[in-house]
Amino acid sequence: MVTITVNGTACRAEAGARLMDCLPAHAAPEAPCGGAGRCGKCRVAARGVLSEPSPEELRALSAGELARGVRLACCARALGDCEVLTGTDAPAFILGESEALPAPAPMFRRAGAAVDVGTTTLAACLYGPDGALLAQAGKMNPQRRWGADVISRIEASRRGGGEELARAVRQGINELLAEMCAAAGLSAGAPDALVVTGNTAMLYLLTGSDPDCLAHAPFEAGRLFGETLAGGDLGLCCPGAAVYLPRCISAFVGADTATALLAAGLTGRRGVHLLADIGTNGEIVLWDGRQLSCCSTAAGPAFEGAGLSMGMPGKAGAVDHVTVKGGALSAHVLGGGEAEGICGSGVVDALACLLATGGLDESGLLDPEPASVCGKVRLTQKDVRAVQLAKSAVAAGLATLTQTAGLGFDRVESLSIAGGFGSYLDVKSAGAIGLIPKELVPRTRILGNAALRGAAMLLLNSGLHAPCEKTARRAVTIDLASSKVFFSAYTGCMFF
Amino acid sequence: MSILTDISENLQKGKAKIVKELVQQAIDQGIPVEQILDEGLLAGMGVIGEKFKNNEVFVPEVLVAARAMNMGAALLKPLMAQAGVEAVGKVCIGTVKGDLHDIGKNLVKMMMEGKGLEVVDLGTDVAPETYVQTAIDQGCQIICCSALLTTTMGMMEEVVKKAEEAGIHGKVKIMVGGAPVTQTFCDQIGADCYTADAASAADAAVSICKASA
Repeated sequence: MVTITVNGTACRAEAGARLMDCLPAHAAPEAPCGGAGRCGKCRVAARGVLSEPSPEELRALSAGELARGVRLACCARALGDCEVLTGTDAPAFILGESEALPAPAPMFRRAGAAVDVGTTTLAACLYGPDGALLAQAGKMNPQRRWGADVISRIEASRRGGGEELARAVRQGINELLAEMCAAAGLSAGAPDALVVTGNTAMLYLLTGSDPDCLAHAPFEAGRLFGETLAGGDLGLCCPGAAVYLPRCISAFVGADTATALLAAGLTGRRGVHLLADIGTNGEIVLWDGRQLSCCSTAAGPAFEGAGLSMGMPGKAGAVDHVTVKGGALSAHVLGGGEAEGICGSGVVDALACLLATGGLDESGLLDPEPASVCGKVRLTQKDVRAVQLAKSAVAAGLATLTQTAGLGFDRVESLSIAGGFGSYLDVKSAGAIGLIPKELVPRTRILGNAALRGAAMLLLNSGLHAPCEKTARRAVTIDLASSKVFFSAYTGCMFF
Repeated sequence: MSILTDISENLQKGKAKIVKELVQQAIDQGIPVEQILDEGLLAGMGVIGEKFKNNEVFVPEVLVAARAMNMGAALLKPLMAQAGVEAVGKVCIGTVKGDLHDIGKNLVKMMMEGKGLEVVDLGTDVAPETYVQTAIDQGCQIICCSALLTTTMGMMEEVVKKAEEAGIHGKVKIMVGGAPVTQTFCDQIGADCYTADAASAADAAVSICKASA
């Protein structure tokens, strides 16, 4: 055993252990790539008896950083006693709805909570029996230390981390419940019903189900939920509460899409409507007036700020909006201080502005490269390529669903954008860079966290459970990986 | 020999029809097929490959250029067989079992063809034994495995094992690539070569084939 001093607190670890595996959860850096040594985001300062820098570290870190003792927590190993310093800034989060909802048939008597388990963030609302919003809370998904994307989490679970992953997210939900109950003057055990929505993999990991079937072809989920458990089964602080998990549509398209659909009120409407939840994965649903088709497209983490040279989450110091003023870029920085990086909505704006000023051509070539956005924040050619892949995945998903239904965008009456990133998105910029089709820009509306709102609707009206499950059962999932339409749309949509 | 420069430049712009016409003209003018291939088509793809590596052009440009190259190459193929011109080497490529992503794999294939390699495309969801059997049956010098998911890249180790069992590993080199793959992973599973991008993969494949020739 060796002693590792993390931010001043000593802890014991096996000699040879990766720093990432020794750091306590509160001090662990984010690892968007799941600790594979690819993204270079898990930088820590370390000194003492450590392994030699790995090839991945030599690639990710500059000579200056290495000289200062900067290491990647996923690569560096503690061979003897050492000292580690990690960043401790608390992450920002995205809250859900703020208004009261009708409560014709609530699932609960005292208090009920709706929870959205997102791959990136957890968000929750606490309601009283009359539908009044008592409190809301949000935090980063604690599972982020196992990777930013669903596949890294599934891989961690397959390697035997399933119980730990379940414990982490349950703990996160408990913290949200405790925070909301305290704010509402209730005890943490007070909620007698919960609705927990999330993508299929998140519900698998929450319930401790083996997610192996979600990770490889033919991608068939053995469990689609649409079931009620007891809080105690999930280790929640309200053991007697009824916890309803809405039904998922397929392995790729989860209960969060089903509840977002409910909130958007898409089904049952006349005409053709699209819904897109844009995050690490983009879930897209088309209602053609008779039936639902949906797909999931891998946008990657670019819109979450990860995977870009100066990308960061939407918190203080992030450039979140950019406009053109007098022929030059003018940036807004969250918190008003100096710009430290750029978040998803800022990247979309910045590229739209660079297209307008001629700093970016239609093929995606930057001139000059890198492009300066604000202060030290800049976008490199590689960043632009990452956004091109991401925006093209979403745009091609929209095109594939519409074309597969034998329709054109001229027939689409509305496009609803759900999800955290979508809430801050400038629709015009999104149209300018081709993230969404230009012709749909005037008919696009921003919904905010529709998945959470839908979960709250289920919480406050048990009568909606059966129709929501029926919708999920009827929806047809289109596999994009084997779709010829998708491939040609994907390459076509990469241009600006 | 300005017609060959014309072929190269039009290929870089993805002008498939013009490339095809120019290749036919070059054949009619009696320019040796090997020279049309090397100084026209492959020279153009080489420029595109280099620009792709430097992020100057992107996936769509590579796709249209590759399409133009294939249309030109289709005219040359029968003549090359007659003239006894041999490919630089032969490679079989596919996305591993359990994984259906083929865009990255297709890019590598195009880049390799752009370097004059003959490529057998096994598609996606390819079983380990299929790679090995194809390499044996078709005399490939290289097996190329692609994976986009961390959950499927473990399948690459099975390919290495199957090649060992068949006694061809060493004679046939195994290249691995795809977003989650790293040099460390390549070393761990005992594969022979990892590259970070499609253009470097094609360069590495050419070196391997030249070394084994």
